[in-house]
Amino acid sequence: MSVAAPRFYFEDVVLQGVLETPAMTVTEAHVALYGGLTGDAAREHGLVPDLLSLCLTVGLGWRVPQPPLAVLAFMGFEWVVDSPLHVGDTIHSRSKTTLKRAMKEGGVIIEERQVINQRGEIVQHGKFTFLVAKRPA
Amino acid sequence: MSDARRYFDDIQVGEEYESPGRTVTEADIVLFAGLSGDYNVLHTDAEFMKQSIFGERIAHGLLGLAMQAGLFTRATQAYATLAFVGLRWKFKGPIKIGDTIRLRAKVAAKKETSKPDRGLVTVERTVVNQRGEVVQEGETDLMVERRRA
Repeated sequence: MSVAAPRFYFEDVVLQGVLETPAMTVTEAHVALYGGLTGDAAREHGLVPDLLSLCLTVGLGWRVPQPPLAVLAFMGFEWVVDSPLHVGDTIHSRSKTTLKRAMKEGGVIIEERQVINQRGEIVQHGKFTFLVAKRPA
Repeated sequence: MSDARRYFDDIQVGEEYESPGRTVTEADIVLFAGLSGDYNVLHTDAEFMKQSIFGERIAHGLLGLAMQAGLFTRATQAYATLAFVGLRWKFKGPIKIGDTIRLRAKVAAKKETSKPDRGLVTVERTVVNQRGEVVQEGETDLMVERRRA
């Protein structure tokens, strides 16, 4: 017997529900791998490229105590860099769904997300818009 | 040694740049999943994606975003950037394995700030594929150094 992996559908998303991810330390290895893969680099040695922090945040976003969100498409986002992140800093992220709108196919959710360092300072923040599948009938 | 970077004063509103193309491979997507920890089925499960509206795995949106940042450095001389301030971004269509993307960028605005040594430059960016379809677009705000008098 096989059981399909559980997924978190549009109907399951809790408005204003807050999710916290585990933390991770950003290393020189992350910066080197990211640089080789994308060709994007930090402005100076010792800093983490700003978009790398964003990418790691999205990965962390899956490590929350609920099944993975049934994302149909990442539609867009707005993002603000509040302060630079240094190699060796440890980040985690916090998110909150602030809007749910049902569509014919799936539904749109807007999630506010913050990237927080080991001192509790917000280093980046913004809003993501996702199209999420409805629970199959 | 002369400083080859371009300062706030050098950058003109309306300037346009186009990058070389870059073919997005399966290896790029696998590496990005491993690096970012984003293993969403959209990017990693070929069988599941056969049933989806895309018909196959697609690149992470943020991989496209990060790649265009790399392509920007190959499209124009480096800016004397002090900080990346923020961005507004839309994912308009999928990037599939084997697609070739390039960046088209245009300086949309320049704004002085309260600090005399820097200014804000807004760059409009469009990521297009080999068919000329816009797959991503948005605006980035960069804080750029001014030339010292």
